Amino acid sequence: MSRAEGVIDVEAEAPVASWVLPVLAVVLTAGMLGYLQVASLDSIEQRVLVPDAILDATIQHINLVVASTLLVIVIAVPLGILLSRRRARWLGAPVLALANAGQAIPSIGVLVLLAILVGVGFSMAVVALVIYALLPVLRNTMVGLQQVDRSLIDAGRGMGMSARQVLTTIELPLAVPVMLAGIRVALILNVGVAALATYTNAGGLGTFIESGIVFNRMPILLTGSVLTIALALIVDWLAGLAENKLRPRGL
Amino acid sequence: MSDSFGSTALRLDSASPPNDVMIKLEGLRKRYPGQSTDSVRPLDMEIRRGEFVVFVGPSGCGKTTTLRMINRLVEPTSGQIWIDGRDVTHTDPDELRRHIGYVIQQVGLIPHLTISQNVGLVPKLLGWDKKRIEPRVDELLDLVGLDPAQYRRRYPKQLSGGQQQRVGVARALAADPPVMVMDEPFGAIDPITRERLQDEFLKLQQRIRKTIVFVTHDIDEALKLGDRIAIFGESSQLAQFATPLEILSHPADDYVRSFVGTGAAIRRLGLLRVGDLEGAGGGAGAGPALRVPPETTVYAALEQMLDAGAARLAVDGEPGAERSLSLQEMLAAAARGRQVPS
Repeated sequence: MSRAEGVIDVEAEAPVASWVLPVLAVVLTAGMLGYLQVASLDSIEQRVLVPDAILDATIQHINLVVASTLLVIVIAVPLGILLSRRRARWLGAPVLALANAGQAIPSIGVLVLLAILVGVGFSMAVVALVIYALLPVLRNTMVGLQQVDRSLIDAGRGMGMSARQVLTTIELPLAVPVMLAGIRVALILNVGVAALATYTNAGGLGTFIESGIVFNRMPILLTGSVLTIALALIVDWLAGLAENKLRPRGL
Repeated sequence: MSDSFGSTALRLDSASPPNDVMIKLEGLRKRYPGQSTDSVRPLDMEIRRGEFVVFVGPSGCGKTTTLRMINRLVEPTSGQIWIDGRDVTHTDPDELRRHIGYVIQQVGLIPHLTISQNVGLVPKLLGWDKKRIEPRVDELLDLVGLDPAQYRRRYPKQLSGGQQQRVGVARALAADPPVMVMDEPFGAIDPITRERLQDEFLKLQQRIRKTIVFVTHDIDEALKLGDRIAIFGESSQLAQFATPLEILSHPADDYVRSFVGTGAAIRRLGLLRVGDLEGAGGGAGAGPALRVPPETTVYAALEQMLDAGAARLAVDGEPGAERSLSLQEMLAAAARGRQVPS
C-alpha cells in the first residue's frame, strides 16, 4: 500500500578521481630519477645519493610518520571521546586551546626545543610530531561526536541502550568520517614535518634536503624534496582510499 | 499472525477486566534544577490496559516532559510511576525502556544500520538470538505495510519520511512491549501521508491493543486517535482528561473550549456512527433515502445526503433490522449521541 512512496537511491557513489595523486607521485619520482641518470654527478653527489641510503631514509621517514600518527590516534581519539562526554565537556575548550597552541608553534621550534630539553633521536622526533599533529585528530573526534544528531541519541536511550551502547553503536560510527578526515590531515602534516626531523638526528628524507643545502648540490636537494612530495601524495591517496573504505554505509 | 500478536489479541477478547490499570502516575512532578516553578505540577493519572491516551496542549505545557517521565528519559522530581502493577520509579531505566516502545517525531532511525537491523535493535538488546529476530523483523515490516523482501536491506536514507516512520513504529513494536510512548510521531510528515498513517495506525491498534501514550499539539489528531484525551493547560496542569466526545460535548472550562476551537458540535458528528444513533424508527418514510452502512460517521452521512439531495437515511443492517432516519431524527439523535466505540 505504501510501496508507491518514492525511494531515493543512494547506492551510486560519485567516482573519485583517485588515480590523479599516485600518477603525479610516479611522474615526479620518475622525472627525478631520469634527471639523476642524465646529470653528471660529482663525487659528493655520488657519495650521498647511494640507492641504499635513499631507501633507508625513505623507510625512516615512513616509520616516523606511521609511529607518530599511530600515537596521535591512540592519544587523541580516547581523549576526544572523553572530552565529549557530558561530565567532562567543560574541559573541552581548555584542552582544545592547548592542542591549538601545539599546532600554532612552528614545528621546527618544537623540534629544536625538545632536542635541547630532552635530547635527540627517533623517539624525540616522534614526540614532536605527535604534539604537532594532535590537534586535527582531537578536534575532529570531538566535532564528529558533537555533530551526531541528538534525536538519534534520544532514540537510542529511549529504546533502552546504555550510554556505552549509544556511544559504540550510534555515536562513534557516525563520527568516523569526520575522525578519518582529521587523521588524514595529521598524516599529511606529519609527512611534511618529518622532513625536519633530520635536525634532531632522526633521519628521514630531510637528510637529503639538509645535505643539499649544506653542500650546495642541486641533485641532492632535488632528491630529498621530490621524494618528500611524492610520499605526501601517496600517503594522501592511501588515506583517501581508507576513508572511503571505512566510512559506514548508508550515510 | 504471529504468536505474540495473537496472544495480545486474545488477552483483549477474554481475560482482562475493563478497568485493568496499565500505567498509573501518582503525584508525578518535575522541576528542573535552577527553576522556581514546576515544569510538571503533581499529576495523578490512570491509563487502562489497551487504552490509547493522547496528551495535547500548547508548547511548554509539560506534555512531553510527562511522557518522557513515563519511560524515565526524564527523572521525576517526586511522585511514582506504576506500570502493570509494578513500581518502576526506581528500577533500572535501561531495562525499563526495553519494555516500552518509543517513537519520536524525528523518527531516529540509525542511518548506518539497515532497516532490518534498526527494527531488530531492541530484540538484540534483550538478547534474542538471530533466528528469532529475523522472522520477527519481517513480520513487523509486513505489519506496517512495507514488503520485507524489498525493504529489509535498505538504509533509512533510501526511504521516504512516511516510510521511515512506519519503520519507526515497527522498531518500537519489535519486542512486543505492552506499552508504547509516542512523541508527535506524525508531526513532521506531510498532511496527506500523515492522515494515511493515522488511519493505518488506528487499524493496527485495533489488532495489537497496546497501551499507548501519544503526545501531539494538534487537537484534531488527538480527537481522531485518542480513546481519552488529556488536555494540558499553560501552567502544566491537567485541564480535562476525558473521551473526545465528552470533551466536545462538555468542555471542562473556557480554556478547553478555546483549545478545542470552533465547530465542536460539527466535529462531534465525525465521532458518531449512524448505526449508533438512538431512537430511530424502523419504518420507511417519505422521500428518497440514501443507503449507508452502519459504521458511517454522521458527518460523512450528512455530507453524502447534502450531495445527493436526500432527506432520509437508510442504515444497512441484518434483514429486517434496517433503519431509516429523517434528517430531523438524525440531528436529535446526534445531540444525545453516544461516542463511537473504538
